Amino acid sequence: MWKVFIMKHRSKIRTYIVFFVSLYLVVTLNVKADAQKVNRKPKASNPADHSFPALGASDERKVEVAWNRFYDHAGMGGILARLHKAFPELTRLYSIGKSVQGRDIWCIEVTSHNVGDSDRKPGMYIDGNIHGNEVQGGEVVAYTAWYLCHQYGRLEKVTALLDRCVFYLVPTINPDARDFWFHAAYSSRSSRTGLEPTDDDRDGLMDEDDYDDLDGDGVITQMRIKDLFGRYKPHPNYPDYLMVRVNPDERGQYSLLGGEGIDNDGDGRINEDRRGGYDMNRNWAFDWQPNYVQYGAKEYPFSQPETRAVADFVLSRPNIAAAHSYHNSGGLILRGPGREGGEMSEQDERALRLISERGEKILPYYRSIAIWDDLYTVWGGELDWFYGGRGILTFSNELWTSKNLYKTPDAPSDEQQAEFVEYVLMGDGLIPWREYDHPTYGKIEIGGRRKEWGRIPPSFLLEEELHRNMAFTLYHADMMPLLKIHEIAVEKLEENLYKIWVTIENQRLIPTRTGQDITHHISPPDIVSLKGNDIKVLSAGRVTDKYFKRVQPVKRRPERVELNSIGGMDSAIVQFVAEGKGSFTITVDSAKGGVLTKNQLLP
Amino acid sequence: MSLTIIQLKMKPYWFLLVTITLLTMQTGIARPATYYDYKSLRKHLVSLAKQDPNLVRVDSIAQSIDKRKVWVVEVGKGAEDNRKKRPSILVLAGIEGNDLTGSSIAVSWLEQLIKQFRTDHKITELLETTTIYVIPRLNPDAAEHFFIEPKFETSANNKPVDADHDGLMDEDGPEDLNEDGLITWMRVEDKEGDYILDPVDKRLLLKADNLKGEVGAWRYLSEGIDNDHDEEWNEDGLGGVNFNRNFPYNYEFFASDAGVHQVSEAQTRALAEFVIEHPNIGIIITYGAADNLLKTPESAPDPDRRKPMISIDEKDLGYYKVMGEIYREAIGLNKELENTSCPGTFSDWMYFHRGRLSLASRPWSPSVAVEISKSAEEEEKDEQEKTGDNDEKKKNADYKKDKDKRNENERKELKWFDEHAPRAFIKWQSIEHPDFPGRNVEIGGYAPYSLTNPPANMVEEVVGRHTDFLTTVIQRLPRIGIRRVETKHLGQGTYDIEIHVENTGFLPTSLAQGQTTREVYPTRLVMDLDDEHFLSGTRITTLPVIPGSGGMVEARYIIYAPNRKKIDFEIISMLAGQVEGTINLEKSR
Repeated sequence: MWKVFIMKHRSKIRTYIVFFVSLYLVVTLNVKADAQKVNRKPKASNPADHSFPALGASDERKVEVAWNRFYDHAGMGGILARLHKAFPELTRLYSIGKSVQGRDIWCIEVTSHNVGDSDRKPGMYIDGNIHGNEVQGGEVVAYTAWYLCHQYGRLEKVTALLDRCVFYLVPTINPDARDFWFHAAYSSRSSRTGLEPTDDDRDGLMDEDDYDDLDGDGVITQMRIKDLFGRYKPHPNYPDYLMVRVNPDERGQYSLLGGEGIDNDGDGRINEDRRGGYDMNRNWAFDWQPNYVQYGAKEYPFSQPETRAVADFVLSRPNIAAAHSYHNSGGLILRGPGREGGEMSEQDERALRLISERGEKILPYYRSIAIWDDLYTVWGGELDWFYGGRGILTFSNELWTSKNLYKTPDAPSDEQQAEFVEYVLMGDGLIPWREYDHPTYGKIEIGGRRKEWGRIPPSFLLEEELHRNMAFTLYHADMMPLLKIHEIAVEKLEENLYKIWVTIENQRLIPTRTGQDITHHISPPDIVSLKGNDIKVLSAGRVTDKYFKRVQPVKRRPERVELNSIGGMDSAIVQFVAEGKGSFTITVDSAKGGVLTKNQLLP
Repeated sequence: MSLTIIQLKMKPYWFLLVTITLLTMQTGIARPATYYDYKSLRKHLVSLAKQDPNLVRVDSIAQSIDKRKVWVVEVGKGAEDNRKKRPSILVLAGIEGNDLTGSSIAVSWLEQLIKQFRTDHKITELLETTTIYVIPRLNPDAAEHFFIEPKFETSANNKPVDADHDGLMDEDGPEDLNEDGLITWMRVEDKEGDYILDPVDKRLLLKADNLKGEVGAWRYLSEGIDNDHDEEWNEDGLGGVNFNRNFPYNYEFFASDAGVHQVSEAQTRALAEFVIEHPNIGIIITYGAADNLLKTPESAPDPDRRKPMISIDEKDLGYYKVMGEIYREAIGLNKELENTSCPGTFSDWMYFHRGRLSLASRPWSPSVAVEISKSAEEEEKDEQEKTGDNDEKKKNADYKKDKDKRNENERKELKWFDEHAPRAFIKWQSIEHPDFPGRNVEIGGYAPYSLTNPPANMVEEVVGRHTDFLTTVIQRLPRIGIRRVETKHLGQGTYDIEIHVENTGFLPTSLAQGQTTREVYPTRLVMDLDDEHFLSGTRITTLPVIPGSGGMVEARYIIYAPNRKKIDFEIISMLAGQVEGTINLEKSR
C-alpha cells in the first residue's frame, strides 16, 4: 500500500523533500551564521606579549611600575626594593636616617658597581619631596632609578654614565608628611611641613588645632557662608570651580572661611596650630636665619632628623659633585643664591646658567631663574647649603606648571583652568559645595577642589613630567668632571735625569672644584703624584704656561703637587723633574673627579 | 728626641692622673677651690647629689668623642614637673676647653648653695621656688689636657680637621721639644722672621714695623717640629671644634675651629636641645673667652622684623648695664674694661635667637688682674698723695705720650706675673732644633693655661668673687604673682572680675628680644570656666609683658555664672613661673 502511494505521488514527494531539506538548510545555516556573529571575540592574550616599544622608556621591564600614578612611602619603598632585587649589580639600597616618626629615608645608589670604585666616582645626589605635599618629586627620583637600571647596557649614553658616575637617589626626605598627604584628609598646599609637633600659636600645646575633615569625604576643602555682607560670589559660568569677588557696588553673597575645620582648643581661632608648623627647606646651615627672620627655620640648622640625615650623608660622600632637589610647582629651574648678596662666584654662576639653558630646552615652559632675584628670599634653603656650604653645583626644579594644560607660553586664566576641569578632566578634581552645620559658624557650605588639582599633573601628563625632568638631571650629571690623563711626556735631560710632563684633561663642563669650593677650602685639593721604586722626584710644579714653559714649583714634597682645580673643558699640566730609572706611576687623586693612575717606563 | 704625637702620650700618663686625683681626694676635708679633672669632677658632683638627693640631681646630657660624659646638675626642691615650671637659671662652664676656672666657679657655687640651703632661709626659699641648672664642663676632652703631660692648651675638641687644607688630617701637631712637660713657645733667630725683641723687656717679642725701619730677626712659633715638611709649624694639630664658636648667631662658616656647620658636635647639639627642652631658663651665664660684663655692651633700636638684630635691643640694655655693674663690683673692678665678642658663641645665640638675658664672663684674665691690682694700689696712693704735686704728674704724662706704646699691656701683664706668679712665664732657653740646624732656637714664654686661668694660689679668691655674683644673679629672675582679685556682682549671677597680675621679680616677663624672636611665649591667664559663661573676655587670655620690680597688668572679665561659687584660674609664664588663684563669687555687691 505504501509503495502504491509513493509511486503515485513520486514527483510531489520529491518536490516536498527538496523543499523541506532546502528550508532546513537555509534556516539552520542562517541561525549558525548568526550565532557565529554574536560569539566572535579576540583571544584574551596578554597585551604585554604583543606590545611594541615607544621611544623613551625601555622595552624590557623587569620591574613593572605604573608611572601615571603616585605612591606612598611603602609604595616608593616597594619600587626601590624590586629594582634592587632585579638589578643587584647596579644598585645598593640603604636608609640614610629616620624621620621624626621613625620612617626610613631610603637611598638607592645607582651605578655599575662592577666598573671602578663606586665610592670614588663623581656623584650626583638627587632628592625630592622635602615639602610633604610636593609629592611628584618622589616619582621623578624613583623613575630616574628605574630608567637608569633598565637602560644600562641598552643605551650607550646611560651605560657610559653609570660606568663613570654614581647616582644617590632619595625619592623622599620627608616621608612622614608624604604619607600624611596621601592618607589623611588634606589639601594641595597643606602638609608642607615635617611632622614634629610644634607650638605654632605659642599657647603651650602642640598641634592641637589642625584641619578637620568635617564632611568626611577624605579631603580638606574650603568653607564658605552665605553672607550679604561678604564680598564673594560664585563665578557665573563656573560656579562650582571659582569664587570671585563681587563688584564694589554689588551686594555680596558669600564670605570665605578658609580651610575645613573647627576651633578644637577653644581659643577662639580655627586651624591655627596645625600638624607640624615649620619648613624643612629653611633648616639648612648656610645663610641660615632664625624663625623671626625666616619662617619655618626651627631653632637651629639641621635640628630636624631628616635634614640632618641628608647633611651627614653628603658630608660622608666627598665625591658628590652635583645635586638636585625637587619641589612643586611653577615650572622653574632654580639656582642660588637664596638671598640678595648671597655668595655665588662668577665662574659657578656661568656653569649653572649653561646647564640650565639646556634644561630650558629639555623642559618646555620651564624657566631658569636665581631664587632671590626672581622668586623670593630664602634663608637656609637646601640648595644654598649644597652650593654655599659644600661647593656643589645644585638646582631645584619646581615641577609642574599650568602652562602645560594647554601647552601655552602664558599661564591659563582661572576661567581656562575651569574649562580644563570641565572638558578635559570631565569634572574630576571638583568637590561640589554641600551644606554643613558648623559648631561656630552655623549653616555653612563645604566644597572646592581636590588636593590633586593645581600642584601635581593629571595622570596623562605625569609620565612626561617624570621623564623630561630626569633627562635634565642626567645632562647635569654628565657635566660632572671627567678626568683623563691625556699625555705623559718624558724628556731626557741627561743620564738618569728626566723632565716629565703630565697633562690631565677634564672633558666636561664642571671643574673638579667649583669657585666656592676653592675659596673656602671645602674639598681637599686635587693631588697629582709621581712614585717609582728607583725614582726620586727632585722638583715639581704646575705648568702655568706650556709654550713659554713657565712652572710654579712647589716648595716641599715635590712628589705631591696640589692643584686648586682642573677647570671645565680644560687641562692642567704638572711637571716633575725626577732622577732614577725604571717605571713610575702617576696618580691623580681628585675628590670629585675620581682617582686615575697610569704606569710608564722611563726610556 | 721624642717625636711622639701627643695623643699617644696620653695613656702612659694616665696612672699619674689617677694618683693626683687620689691624692687630692685624700687631702680634701675643707676643700679649697681647685681645678678639677674629669674623674674628680664626676666624683665631686656625685657626692654633692648624695648629700641631698631631693635637692640635687646629676645627669649626663652627652658624651664626648673620647667617651667622657657631660654632666648637668639640677638644684631645686620639689617634683620634676614643678621644677620645670619655675623661673630658672643656667650656668655653663668649660664650653671652651681651656676654661678650668669657670668649672671651679660652677662647682663651688653648687657647694655653697647646698650648704646655705640648710643655714640661710633666704636661699632655702629661693631653692624652693627657683630651678638651677649647672653644666660645669661641656668640653671635658680639651680640659683634660691640663692634667696630662705634656700640658697643652686648646679650646677645641678632638674632631679631626684639615686645618691647613692640604688633604691630610691632624698631621702636624706640637711637640714638647725640651721635655719640660709643657707645650710653650719657640723663637728662632731668623732673618725671615717678622718679629724683633721688645727693647724694654727682651723676654717679649714685637712685630717688626718696617715704617719704623725695624728689620725682623725672629720667628715666633709654637713648640714643635714641622712634621709634614710644609714649612709651617704645628699648623694642623689634633682637633677640632671650639664649641663656643659652633652656635648659629654670628656663626663664622668655614672658620677652622667653628665646625663643619652650626651645632655640628654632639655636645653643642645636646646643649641646644637642653635649653629648648627647658624653656623656663630666663638667665644664662656662660664662662669662656667672650665677655659682655666688663663693659656695657653696644645697643641699637629694634629694626624691621625681617632684618636680623646685630646689637642688643636698646630696650633690654638697662638689664645688661645693671648686671655689668654688679659683676664688676663683685670681682673688684672699679672701672669698665673692654668687652670681648667672639663669633658663634652659645651666649649670643641665647640672647639674639632665643631672647633670654645671656651674660658672658671671662672669669679671669691678666688684664683684669692687672687692673684689680692697680686699683688696689691707687686706693693706697690716693690716701698718701692727697697733698701731692700736680706739675710732677703732668710731666709724667707728657713723658708717657712719647713712649712706644706697643706691648705696653703685655709688659704690664708680665710684670704682674713676675710679682704674683713667676712660674707662669718660662725662661727662654736654647735648644737644638732639627728644622733649624745651626740656628739659635729658644723655647719658653707663657706656660699653657697661664693667660686664661689664674695662678693656683689665686683660684680660691677668684672663684669666691664669682660665686657671690651668681648668688646675686639668681635673685634677679622674673616672678609672676597675683596682687589681688576684685569681684563685683552686677546682679542675676553676672560678675565683673578684675585680676591684677604682678611681677615681683626683677627682670620683665620677657625681654624685648624675647618678643622680637617670639621665642618667649606670652603669659597666659587660663580660667577654669566654659566658654558660654563669658560675656566679655575669653577662657584663655594672653597678657602683655609685665615689667619687673612690681610691674602689674590687669585682666577684666564679665561673667555670667549663676550656679558657680568660685572659679579657679592659672597664670602661666614661660620665664616667671606659674601661679594658681581662685575667684570667690559672692552675690552681695
